[in-house]
Amino acid sequence: MRVDTLVENDHQEVHPHRSLRARLTWLAIGVGGIVALFAVRAVTADTIDAGLPNQLQDLLTLATSVIIESMPFVILGIVLSIAVQEGVPDHWIMRILPRNPFARRAVISFLGFFLPVCECGNVPLARGLMVKGFTVSESMTFLLAAPIINPITIATTHAAFGWDGWVLVGRLVGGFVIANLIGWLFSRHNDQDSLLTRRFAAECRLPQHHEHGGARIHKSLELFIRETSVIMPALFIGSVVAGAIQVLVPRSVLVSLGSNPLWSILAMLVLAFVISVCSNVDAFFILPFASTFMPGSIVTFLVFGPIIDIKMLALLRTTFTTRVLVQLTLVVGLLAALIGLVVNYVA
Amino acid sequence: MWPKVAGLVLALTVVVATIWLGVTGQLVLYIHPRYVVFTMIMAGLALVVGIASFAVKPGHSDDAPSTRAGRVLSVSALALTAVIAAALVIVPPATLTSATVDTREINSTGVGVEVQSVEAATSTSNEAFARFTVRDWASLLAQTSDVAFYSGKPVDVAGFVTADATDPTNVFYVSRFIVTCCAVDAQPVGVPVYSPNWADDLDTDDWVRVTGSFVANPSSASEQPIALDPAAIELIGTPDEPYLY
Repeated sequence: MRVDTLVENDHQEVHPHRSLRARLTWLAIGVGGIVALFAVRAVTADTIDAGLPNQLQDLLTLATSVIIESMPFVILGIVLSIAVQEGVPDHWIMRILPRNPFARRAVISFLGFFLPVCECGNVPLARGLMVKGFTVSESMTFLLAAPIINPITIATTHAAFGWDGWVLVGRLVGGFVIANLIGWLFSRHNDQDSLLTRRFAAECRLPQHHEHGGARIHKSLELFIRETSVIMPALFIGSVVAGAIQVLVPRSVLVSLGSNPLWSILAMLVLAFVISVCSNVDAFFILPFASTFMPGSIVTFLVFGPIIDIKMLALLRTTFTTRVLVQLTLVVGLLAALIGLVVNYVA
Repeated sequence: MWPKVAGLVLALTVVVATIWLGVTGQLVLYIHPRYVVFTMIMAGLALVVGIASFAVKPGHSDDAPSTRAGRVLSVSALALTAVIAAALVIVPPATLTSATVDTREINSTGVGVEVQSVEAATSTSNEAFARFTVRDWASLLAQTSDVAFYSGKPVDVAGFVTADATDPTNVFYVSRFIVTCCAVDAQPVGVPVYSPNWADDLDTDDWVRVTGSFVANPSSASEQPIALDPAAIELIGTPDEPYLY
C-alpha cells in the first residue's frame, strides 16, 4: 500500500498542477457547494421539526458543542503547522535547539509559549514538526507540554483559580514533568518509526521540497486538504463518542466520589477522559467542581485532560500506533494520579 | 476508502454551520459568549482557505484498509461522520433538554452556590429580588431553608420544566443550564415549584415564567423543604439566551 502512495506522489511531482480551466471549474463547484450548504441550513432551520427524542437531541447538541468549540483551535493548529512546514527553513529549528537530548526536550516543553495552540491544534502542529525533523519522542514531549505550558492556558487557569491551593503550580510543574518523562521513556525505543502509523511514517520519509511564490501557496493548500482529511474525521468520531457517553453515564456517579482523596482522583481521571474539552478552557469547566473535589484531584484533571481524552485519542491515532497510545494513556494516567496525590497531601 | 476531499468537506460543513449560527446569534447555544468572536474569526479564515483549496488537486490518497474488519470499521466511521455532518446543517439548533438534567442531577455540583449570600440578601430590595434568576434563588435555597427568610420576597423566574425526582406529580423545577465554557459542561440549576398535577397543563421542557413566593413545601413526598407557591404560571417561548453564564 505504501508503495502505491509513493508511486502516486511521484506521479504528481511530474504533473503537480491542475490546468487553469480545471481550477476555475473546481472553485465554482466549491463556492456553489458552500452556497448550497448555507441555503439548506437557512431553510431547514425554520421548516424542519426534527422531533428527535430528547436523549438523541442532547447527544447531537453535546457532540456539536465539542466540534464547534474545538474547530477554531484545530484550524489555528493546521495553519501554524503549515506555517512551520512551509515557512521555516529546513533544520533551522534543529540547529537552534540544544544538542543534549534532555536539555533539548526541556526546551521543547516551552515551545507552547510561541505556538499557543490547545491540544487538538497541537496534533497537526506536532505532525508538521516531525516532518521538519523532530524525533518521535521529542514530538511527544511537545504534544504533552505545549497545551499546558502556554500563555492562554496559564491565563485561563489563573483567571479561574488564582494562586489558590497549588492548582496552577501543580498543573504547570506536573505537565512539564510528565512531558519530559514520557519523552525520555519513548526515546529509549530502538525503532522510532515503528511508533508511528505506517501512513504517517511514509509521509515523514518523503523528501521536502521548497518552492516559492505560487508553488508554495499551492503546497500550503495541499497540506490544508491533507491535514483536514486526517483530523476532521477523528474530531467528528471523538466528539460523538464523548457526547454519547455523557448522555448515558449519570454525572452523579462521578460527583459522589468527590470527597475521598483516592476515589476523587480516579473520578477526575474518568471525567477528564470523557469530557474532552480543550486545555485553553478546561479550567473554567472544572472551577464549579472545586468546592466538591480536593485540589489535588483538580490538578489531576488539569494535567491529564489536555493530554488524554476520547477526542485526543481519536486525533492521536492518526499519527501513533494503538500500542503506543495504550502505553501513553497508562503512564500519563498513573503520573497524573501521583501528582494529584502529592498535591492533596501538601495542600 | 475515504474520499480525498472528505476532510475538507467536513471542515467546510462545520464552518458553514458555525458561521450561520454566529450570524443568527445562536452560537451561544453551543459555546460561551466569550468565545464567539474568536470562533467566528477562525471560521472565516477556514472558509477562505477551504474555498481556495478547491483549486488544488488533492495530493494524497488514503491507504485502503487491508483487512475485512478494517474495511468494515472504515465504512462505519465514514457513515457515522456523514450522518453527523448532515445533522449539523439539517437539524435545527436546539438547547439541551430535561434528558441532560436527569443525567447531571439538578443543583448537584454546587455550581453558582456562591452567587448570592444570605447575609447580603437581608439588605436586598424587593425590586432586586424580582430580578433574581433561578440560579440566584437556587443559591439561597442551598444555604437556608428558613421559611421566615423568604416571606414577603417576590419571585419572578423563567426556565424550562423538569419533574422533581421525589414527587414528580406535584412538584416541578423551573430550571436553567449554567454554561462555563460550552454546552458540554452545562450544569442544571432550578427552583422547585409546588403545583399539584402540573402535568395536566405543562409538559417537561416547556419554557415557563413563574411568579409567586416561597413557602414550606406542602408536598410530603418531595425532599425539598421549601418550594415556590405559584401565583401565576405563564408559558413563554425559548429565550434567545437559554443558558446562564
